[in-house]
Amino acid sequence: MRLRKAAYVPAMLAISALSLTACSSGHNNKVSGDGAKSEVQNFGLGTAADSTGPAKDVAGAKPGGTAHGIESAGFDYLDPGQIYVNEYQAVSQLYSRTLTNYKVDPATGKTILVGDMATDTGKESDEGKTWTYTLKDGLKFEDGSPITSKDIKYSVERLYADYQDQGPTYVQTWLSGADYRKVYAGPYDGKDLGDDVIGTPDDKTIVFHFKEAHADAPYAMAMPNITAIQKSKDDKEKYNDHPVSIGPYKIASYEKDKSLKLVKNPNWDPKSDPIRHQYVDSWEFELGITNPLLTQRLIAGNGDDKNALTLVQNADNPSIAKIQGDLASYKDRLINKFQPFVDTFDINNTRVKDPKVRKALALAFPRAQVQKLLGGSATGDVANNLVSPTVAGWKDSDPLGLKAKPEGDPDAAKALLKEAGAENYPIVLAYANTPRWQPVAAAIQEALNNSGFKVERKELDPTSYYSTIGKKDNGFDLYRTGWGADWPQISTVVPPTLDGRTIADGSPNYTHYNSDAVNAEIDRINKIPDVKQAADEWMKLADKALLDTPKIPLTYDKFYQVYGAGLGGVAYNEVIGATDISSIFVK
Amino acid sequence: MLRFLTRRALGAIVILFLLVLLTYLAVMSLPVDQAMLNCPKGCSPQQLAIVRHNMGLDKSNFEQVLDYVKGLFVGASHGADGFCNAPCLGYSQSRHQFVIDVIMDNYPATIMLALGGSVCFLVIGVTLGMVSAWKQGSLFDTIASSFSQLGQSTQIFFVAPLAMALFVTNLHWLDKPGYTPFTEDPISSITGMILPWLVLSIIFWSNYTRQVRSLMIEQLSEDHIRAARAKGMSNRYVWWRYALRGAMAPIVTIFGLDLGVVLSGAVITEVSFGIHGLGMLAVKSVTAQDTQLELGVLLFSAAAILVFNIVVDAAYGLLDPRVRIG
Repeated sequence: MRLRKAAYVPAMLAISALSLTACSSGHNNKVSGDGAKSEVQNFGLGTAADSTGPAKDVAGAKPGGTAHGIESAGFDYLDPGQIYVNEYQAVSQLYSRTLTNYKVDPATGKTILVGDMATDTGKESDEGKTWTYTLKDGLKFEDGSPITSKDIKYSVERLYADYQDQGPTYVQTWLSGADYRKVYAGPYDGKDLGDDVIGTPDDKTIVFHFKEAHADAPYAMAMPNITAIQKSKDDKEKYNDHPVSIGPYKIASYEKDKSLKLVKNPNWDPKSDPIRHQYVDSWEFELGITNPLLTQRLIAGNGDDKNALTLVQNADNPSIAKIQGDLASYKDRLINKFQPFVDTFDINNTRVKDPKVRKALALAFPRAQVQKLLGGSATGDVANNLVSPTVAGWKDSDPLGLKAKPEGDPDAAKALLKEAGAENYPIVLAYANTPRWQPVAAAIQEALNNSGFKVERKELDPTSYYSTIGKKDNGFDLYRTGWGADWPQISTVVPPTLDGRTIADGSPNYTHYNSDAVNAEIDRINKIPDVKQAADEWMKLADKALLDTPKIPLTYDKFYQVYGAGLGGVAYNEVIGATDISSIFVK
Repeated sequence: MLRFLTRRALGAIVILFLLVLLTYLAVMSLPVDQAMLNCPKGCSPQQLAIVRHNMGLDKSNFEQVLDYVKGLFVGASHGADGFCNAPCLGYSQSRHQFVIDVIMDNYPATIMLALGGSVCFLVIGVTLGMVSAWKQGSLFDTIASSFSQLGQSTQIFFVAPLAMALFVTNLHWLDKPGYTPFTEDPISSITGMILPWLVLSIIFWSNYTRQVRSLMIEQLSEDHIRAARAKGMSNRYVWWRYALRGAMAPIVTIFGLDLGVVLSGAVITEVSFGIHGLGMLAVKSVTAQDTQLELGVLLFSAAAILVFNIVVDAAYGLLDPRVRIG
């Protein structure tokens, strides 16, 4: 999932001690983080039975009341076609649905992918190139008109239009190639995608014909833009202000950047939905509340705030300290989970070409100090590889041998630099010029200088940080980035960040790492039809690429926040990295 | 007076026009690729090109400025959002709305904050200043002067969270701060703004206390005051009729300028209390790198200050007959 780019810089807070329970992968990996132990969940595919509604009742739940959300940012995009940011995806669970989706058990935290509007996670044919979905009974738009397969097809067709420039592009690209907009310009001039691309043989069946095999298709169908859109209500850009509901709640009022109110959608059929409940009468979101204030309000829980939560905003550091100082008071209303994001320090491989120098950088890097400066275990566990523990196939591997000395190993770094003939190697360290990153940059400079490097610091405007480091010729050697899997498969981690063929301005391959061997492996693993087998292969590839030290693993990010004591059924969706609000009730 | 107002209004328009050009040029000279900032995760060259086109950034800098200026005079249209009448302040990429609509959505909160806050700082500041002048050298005077200095040296970003923690979180005396339209819920509208008003007033009223105190003391030592007293007029009459009137002209000037400033957006107060006014909008426009919204807010704020400057100049002439306006 995606964090807003502006949020990357001030955000990236979280904490330790989590419990990610295992499901289909059948193995639990223990993660150590400052003494806290957690079980790692490798999310799997649910069955048709798992996909059948209604959702299991939550113990103690009762209907009625209003739940409140307090958000630091606005909901820039409500149109499901334009949603990619995790915060928008989390709120869209209330009014939108997708072909497949993640079912979170609020009692155990167990999360599996199930059919949401579809009866299951999909049936493949033609060696994984064709995927067929059957719609459930009882699916309706908020005006009561039935949802058919043509409405699903239309939701994909409109993604080809030029104005749809913010959502994920997996399905469109798989269907029509990287230049999909040149193949088809969207449905607004009356043309539609041919049946050979998306077939709708009847009102209940939709068939996707991809150009290549895609074993990940069930996960791609959980992307927020693979939904149902009512053609008669689609007024292009303006649809963002009034998306038509197909979920348990519909939008009653929306003031951009200020508030969003949702009320019950009477045309949502709980029997069709294995994920969501409709316990509360309404939802009211207050937008644009700065973080210290937001967390203070959640801690205090006065008035309506007693029934309030926030979707993605971590507690600020002073509030984390306050909560930790009185954990007994907050433990019953504390969310403390891994996120899908991994923070790294990326090495510009086009400038630092020698792998030995890059390895020396990793050895010298003061990961433990940086983690501590960012809030210690509250902001994440020290990472030893490039994959989040929330992703299938993750192993507690340590390809670079960094685990033993997380504080850095200056002697080993110096020796390696000497071997490479690169003593006093100059490094330009770029960082966002904020109170959060200034001390981090200073600590890194000191540690690297003590390890045989000569570091020059370059502070960057935090609001344009990613556009600056995103340039191919950015002029820097070392800079922080973060990446989160779009779904719990490493196929959404390694190819986007390490495939050398994608290097371009703005590309997430910020390291400009380009290895023919890794590129070939990406192509090979992409063709593996079994996602479990592919998961293991992806992990091996992630570790293999890391041996070239394109980047330095920093932290597995975590979420840490309290919610109002008046709410029940609060869970955390580790796949999208946001509070799960599908089963909330007011006590 | 009419000639004066016309001349000042024309001057203000020229200033605003120059402001547009300078700001636009400044923004364009920044090494920031806004298309890249707005390109979603996994940004591909194709996606980047579409975002650039949709933001109008595939046009030359000259064409972009020309489009903006044209919009100011004849209006502009934007896709499905329709037509924006002149003076069109552009289109906000982050809000997907015309900038003028965004500003009008946010401005009522700023007006509410500014009016309430200014009443607070004017009433508190002037009252304390007058009593201090009346009781010059007394314990009250010493305490009021000390508080003035404290108020002037304090910062809203420091006081606001403290006040929140004390009065809302711990003592539960006040409701959570925030703006509710007066027409929607008058009680919540006022209770939600009490804390922001008081906090905003802190940095202003101390100045009024000091100014009023010194002006009143200065007025009381003037010859015409002594003459009035010598004629047998009561202290109270002299105080209100002569001394206060003489002291008020500079205070009105300061008040007019301060009101212009807070009406152009009390950035820190609005952000601290989560009030969606012009100040918070300014911050959001910068963090979102939304150039046209930044420009719009800047122009609107500058216009507010210019208007109040003109009003103050006009009022000064009315209050003080020695000042002629023509």
